[in-house]
Formats: sequence, structure tokens, C-alpha cells
Amino acid sequence: MALEMSGEYVLPRDRKAVYVALNDAEMLRKCIPGCEELTKASDNEFAAVVKMTIGPVSARFKGKVRLVDLDPPNGYRIEGEGEGGVAGFAQGGAKVELTEVPEGTRLTYNAEANVGGKIAQLGQRLLAGSAKKIADKFFANFTAELS
Amino acid sequence: MYNFEFHRPTTVDEALRHLKADEAKLLAGGQTLLPTMKQRLAAPKHVVDLGGVTGLSTIDHKGGSLVMGKAGGTVLRGGTLTIGALTTHAQVANSNEVKESLPALASLAGGIGDPAVRNRGTIGGSIANNDPAADYPAACLALGATVVTNKREIAADDFFTGLFETALEPDELILRVVFTAPGRAGYAKFRNPASRYAIVGVFVAERQGEVRVAVTGAGQSGVFRVPAMEAALAKKFDASAVDGIRVDASDLVSDIHAQADYRAHLIGVMAKRAVQMAA
Repeated sequence: MALEMSGEYVLPRDRKAVYVALNDAEMLRKCIPGCEELTKASDNEFAAVVKMTIGPVSARFKGKVRLVDLDPPNGYRIEGEGEGGVAGFAQGGAKVELTEVPEGTRLTYNAEANVGGKIAQLGQRLLAGSAKKIADKFFANFTAELS
Repeated sequence: MYNFEFHRPTTVDEALRHLKADEAKLLAGGQTLLPTMKQRLAAPKHVVDLGGVTGLSTIDHKGGSLVMGKAGGTVLRGGTLTIGALTTHAQVANSNEVKESLPALASLAGGIGDPAVRNRGTIGGSIANNDPAADYPAACLALGATVVTNKREIAADDFFTGLFETALEPDELILRVVFTAPGRAGYAKFRNPASRYAIVGVFVAERQGEVRVAVTGAGQSGVFRVPAMEAALAKKFDASAVDGIRVDASDLVSDIHAQADYRAHLIGVMAKRAVQMAA
């Protein structure tokens, strides 16, 4: 099941600082909702454990997070995929763009996600709302960390 | 079957002690938790069954005034209705006190799921889960109910915070829900024919000229109020008052059952029916 989301945030920091933060493993760990572990596997790749809880459903996804199309300080693409055991799998990515504005930096994201397996079959009516909420929470956390 | 620790406390304090354990879940009627566990979409390490806790499944009615009932004779309308967290939907639906003092709530409870669900599912379980298509959240929000926990009293306006999210803290347990009966109230639901969850459900309550309209089944973040309809109905409590008021579809759910714009349309239709039914 495919989901698409987008959003926009204004951060009170310059573009370079925002870009550096977006590449910082510790920062990403703090901002990814439910992230329990994020360890650097290579320069642009991380191994992640993320616990997803939507109401009664609770699943721990183990997977990878990759940073591609690096274009400092204009943005990059963040991609990830994970296996949640019997719950199913989730895979997705977001193109993140940074532009300068008088208040600091405007961050825009366009994300898409694919969810499959049991969680997609049974949680269909919950996924669109939840995916958007998770994406918003990530960028809201990120904004809060930088402010 | 995977293993978990099963606890069956007999007091609230004992239940709260078990709830402190890592990955513990409270089990009320089990109408959501058990199917989720069977599907392996949840695997709590501790299940704390509240079924053995006494005193949480009572219905108390205080105050109100005698009025003529529909079937002749007098009924006690209005007043304050206190419903214990473990009261089943069937108990609420069949309670004479609820039917007389707040008939819309009895009819809502009688329309949840099927008899099996109504005989197991509880009001506390329903609102703690805050399923975006559940019926009780709409009643609580429209009636301005108060949720009483082991720690505090929470107004319905502050209780439902998002999709499956509530103001409840991890170590908090609902004891009862307090409803003050309105002047009149009605609930209309366009239900999914299989699950009987609300595709759209609208609860309308009028109290001394103030009107609250709460919608379930439709919002991406769960139950919500419709201020435009509330203002129009406060001026004139009649189905025609909501004519032309359309809820923005961009925040509504689209799924295999109904698209967002269809849900937006249904909110208007169900609101009218709820007003017509209001008693």
C-alpha cells in the first residue's frame, strides 16, 4: 500500500547547520519517532531499530536508513526499509530540500512510503493518518532540536 | 501462541502495580487487544486483566426531574450519570437509568458492534483505545463528559488527543466516566455493515442553548467537533440549520469504505438525522 506525504518547516538556523544536523546519527536517532537504536554502518548508511505503535498495534522494525543524492547544503534524499517480523514490512523515502529564507532555512519534504504484509492488510484505515503523523513528528522533533 | 504473563488483580492498586512492568497492557473487554494479539500485531509481555477488579461496572444516576415518558407514565430525565469503566455496552444499552436520563447514550451503546461485542466491550476500553471509528468518543466529546482516572479528572475536550491517542499516561487507569445529561441529544451513525464501526457518526447535544457536535469515523486524528454546525444549531436547533455547512474533506479519512469527500457529505446528513432524533 503506497502513501504520500509532504510538509514544510521553517528552522531558525542557517542552511549549513541544518544540513549538518540532518546528517548527524545522534540527531536522527532523537528525531525518528520510536527510534530505539541508530548506528552508523557506513558514511551514509545506518542500521536502525524503530518501534512503531499505532493504538493496539505495536511492532519493532529492524532495518536500514540511507542518505542518497547528497547535495550539501541544498538537501538530500533519506531512504529506509525495515522488517517488522509477522507485522510486515515498511519502506519509504523522503526528498528533503533546504532553501534560505529571512528567518533561517525553509525545509520542505516530499515523502512516500510503502507498507506491506499483515500491518497493511489489517491497518489499512489507520496507515494514511499514521504515516503522516510519523513524518510530521520527525520534522517537528527536528525543528524543536534545532530551535 | 507466544508466552506472556497473565495477571488478574482484584483491586485498582494491584492492577496499577502490574501495569508498571515492562510492556504491560490492560485488558478490559478485549475487543481490540485480543484480536490484535491473535494477529501478532501486538505482543505485550504482561496482560493485566481488569475483569476481577470489583466496583468498576456500576451505573449511578443522581438528580434529574420527572417528566412524561413516551410510553406514558413518568421517567427521570436529566441529572448526572456515572458509568464505571468496566461497564459493558450491553449494560449501558439495557440500563433503565440510562434509557430514561440519557436515551441517546443508551441507543449509541446498543448500536456498537454485535451482541458478542456489546457483552464484552466496555466504555473504559473503548475510550482508552480511542479508535477513530468508535462510537463512545463522539458521545463523550459532544456531552462534555468527564473521565475520572486513578490520578485526576480529565474533560473530554482534553482527553482525546489524536489517532488512538489520549491524555492518559502509561500508569493511568480509567475508573469511570461522568455524563451530565443535556437538554436533548441524538446520535446518528452511518455504519460499516460488517464491523458496525462508524463510517461517519455524529453526536449532537443541546444544553441551555449551547450545542456541541462531535464527529467520529471520519477524522484522520480521530473524533472532532464542528464549530460551524454548533453555532448554527445554537441559533436554531433544527435540521435545516446545518444546510450548506460542509466540513473540509482534506482532514478526513479516505479508505476502501469511503472517500474523504463522501465522508464530508455524510457528516451533514448524519448531523441532520442526529438533530431530528434528539430527545
